[in-house]
Amino acid sequence: MNERGLSGNMGEISDKNDFRKTALLLGNEAIAQAVVAAGCLVATAYPGTPSSEILPAIASCVDRLNAPTVVEWGANEKVAFEMALAATYTGARACAAMKQVGLNVAADPFMSGALLRLKGGMLLISADDPGPHSSQTEQDSRFFSMFAKTPCLDPSDAAEAAAMVEDAYALSEKHNIIVMLRPTTRVAHCRQTVDVLDRLRPGVFDRPVKFDRDPNRWTQLPALVRVASPQHNARIAKIREEFEIDWREYNYELPAKGKPKLGIIAGGVSFAMLCDLIGEWGRDDISVLKIGTPYPLPCRMTENFIARHEKVLVLEETYPVIETQLLDRGKVNGRWNDVVPSAGELLPEVIEEIVLSQLGEMISKPDSFLDSSSGSSALSTVINELNLTPRKPQLCAGCPHRGSFFSIRKAIPNAINPSDIGCYTLGINQKGLDSSLCMGGSVTMSSGFYLGHKAAGQERPVVATIGDSTFFHMGIAGLLSAVYNKHAFVLCVLDNSVTAMTGGQSHPGIGKKLRKNDPGRTLDIEAVVRGCGVTFVETVASYDVTAGVDAVKRAWEHAKANKIPALVIYKHPCMLLHVPQNIVPVTVREDQCVGCRYCIDYFGCPGLSFGEKVKKTSIDPRYCVSCGVCEAVCPHGAIIKRPAKPLSGAA
Amino acid sequence: MQYIIVGIGGQGILFTSKVLGKIAIGKGLSAIGSEVHGMAQRGGSVISHFKVGNYKGPLVTEGNADVVMAFDQSEGIRNLSFLRKGGTFLVNTSSPQAFQNESLKKYLTDREIVTCRFPGYDILNQHMDGNTLFLNVLILGTASGMKIEGFEKDLVVAALKELSPPKYLEANLKVFDLGIEAVS
Repeated sequence: MNERGLSGNMGEISDKNDFRKTALLLGNEAIAQAVVAAGCLVATAYPGTPSSEILPAIASCVDRLNAPTVVEWGANEKVAFEMALAATYTGARACAAMKQVGLNVAADPFMSGALLRLKGGMLLISADDPGPHSSQTEQDSRFFSMFAKTPCLDPSDAAEAAAMVEDAYALSEKHNIIVMLRPTTRVAHCRQTVDVLDRLRPGVFDRPVKFDRDPNRWTQLPALVRVASPQHNARIAKIREEFEIDWREYNYELPAKGKPKLGIIAGGVSFAMLCDLIGEWGRDDISVLKIGTPYPLPCRMTENFIARHEKVLVLEETYPVIETQLLDRGKVNGRWNDVVPSAGELLPEVIEEIVLSQLGEMISKPDSFLDSSSGSSALSTVINELNLTPRKPQLCAGCPHRGSFFSIRKAIPNAINPSDIGCYTLGINQKGLDSSLCMGGSVTMSSGFYLGHKAAGQERPVVATIGDSTFFHMGIAGLLSAVYNKHAFVLCVLDNSVTAMTGGQSHPGIGKKLRKNDPGRTLDIEAVVRGCGVTFVETVASYDVTAGVDAVKRAWEHAKANKIPALVIYKHPCMLLHVPQNIVPVTVREDQCVGCRYCIDYFGCPGLSFGEKVKKTSIDPRYCVSCGVCEAVCPHGAIIKRPAKPLSGAA
Repeated sequence: MQYIIVGIGGQGILFTSKVLGKIAIGKGLSAIGSEVHGMAQRGGSVISHFKVGNYKGPLVTEGNADVVMAFDQSEGIRNLSFLRKGGTFLVNTSSPQAFQNESLKKYLTDREIVTCRFPGYDILNQHMDGNTLFLNVLILGTASGMKIEGFEKDLVVAALKELSPPKYLEANLKVFDLGIEAVS
């Protein structure tokens, strides 16, 4: 059946030569192609590293194949998840993608939705970030799947992640249950040659989309849950049984060629890295049990493997999810007895050390120079002598947030500055923030700081920062609460017209949706906050330090006098959007620069360079974008607009 | 072949991995790699691991890289531990005097490392109006000029033609040749 033209464009792509090929794909792109190929009709997400590329890649695949899939960002992960989940009530296949911390935001509908008997297939992609590279936590989404009692598929590489998508939908529809696909950073962000044959066809969706009224099925009332819970347990038991037998593509043993000295149970990217190491060593005394379905764990398979080995090691990231489900851990080594570290990525060198020590062998690195753990190694000496320190991430040259933070700090130096999750967390380099917890936390924490002081009979100014996307994600609810409860603080929305940190995605404040030719409406932050009951709202240009200082001062006076949050919106587009702007070249007057480092310590633009020998600041032309903001920064007036002619004889 | 490509955010390191992948596919080889780039565009350190051949995991282990390509001199030296004995160190130099450091000289000699230095920024200043965006293609040229496996000249040119935005293609091909010249 093809009523909605789901494969209407097949003729155009049926040129086998065109798609019978290998492509170098990002893990997220491989997943995206598979989602479209599986006939997903509604795909949603909120961006978060390492998941951010999944939805745009779905959109580009949908466009290329002229597939009917609807692709939209939700304002946050809970919104995204609920949109996708409801779509499955109609029988459609749907998908919601997010990062592990995002799943916390969507935890509520995820836990409730888990118990439902769904109609269409529901794929939840939660990308984990062991390490973590760009997250507040190292949490393991597989535990969330266990918590919600929903099956979880844990890919070891990009190709396997793509293959798992179709099977996830089949499993989901067979048991009418949500299925989680859980790639980690090294899967989501690996680049791998993947065979794209078959994957470049839009999937054929052969059921009518129709919502049938059935309140007993779609309402989570306690009486119904009491019936649903035991039924849910029964289907998990069935799925566990299927994982024991039918999922040999993802759960299989690689037996040692010789007599095994060690058995290793491994999942996710740890399995891939382990395979490379065993290959490199050329060993024949290690057997491996690969687990691609960590929940519910195929326990007979693991028990059988453990029984046949004298010693067993479990390697998985990030938490001991497989390990915890093992029935008898008597001869199993892992996290419970500290054989495997409980934090950080299981990098190949970490796995190498664990496995060799389990085999009772010395670590023989390729040569003795490489003892990097010891400060006396040859390379450490070089690095110390040359004073090579890793570069800190920082706000881009010309980033509007830099000017905003500078004016916020300058306006009320003794204020508490709660901040939020986004690029602006890098304002820490400018001493511009005192706290950062989670999306939307800056607003509610401002309330907390205000209340704590109020309870103690004190008053301390609070000036919080939040980004535009984050404001729409989770800021609004906190703001409503603060207005209602009469909390005095200043909230500065640093509006750069994009979700910058994750690569420039759109959001409700921009008016653009994810796909081209699919316009949205722009929600004006000023109007939104006035609607929330905020009475002081001012918008200033982020580059205008003087106006920014003035606005924050007046906002705090208003907040203090009226016991209400006051808002300052700092507005200037993100530099990564490459919007044309005024060129204001600057220079440093050497005779005026006293070498106080104020511009470096409180402004810290990559375009400003401090000469340690001469003790003077200068402009680094490699990075300076001539935004001119730093002119307002130097307390000694040494940074000035560059005149048309070069300064002669100034020094 | 195992490659480590290092530098700082915004230098176009990803593009180099894509070219390597394109060439591997052309030869019918498998490839896998991983880039740490959560904060890359914010000027932090960036490292890209890339492996061509029958590998499953995306990361290179210390002492196993055949090549370390450094867009930034400091990042290159900091990551030399990835390089195997006798491997190739290709580096865009910003302060050549660092290579006068005795410990560094001894390290490179003892490990029989083939070092190829080129003044990328000087070349771009001289020929490309100082446009540092071309650094990634310049380094591809030097790798090709050094006859490093995976950077065969014809194949890099073909990959550039496919991957470059049309308006930059001509300039990219010119910069590529500048890279080859820089090491010949």
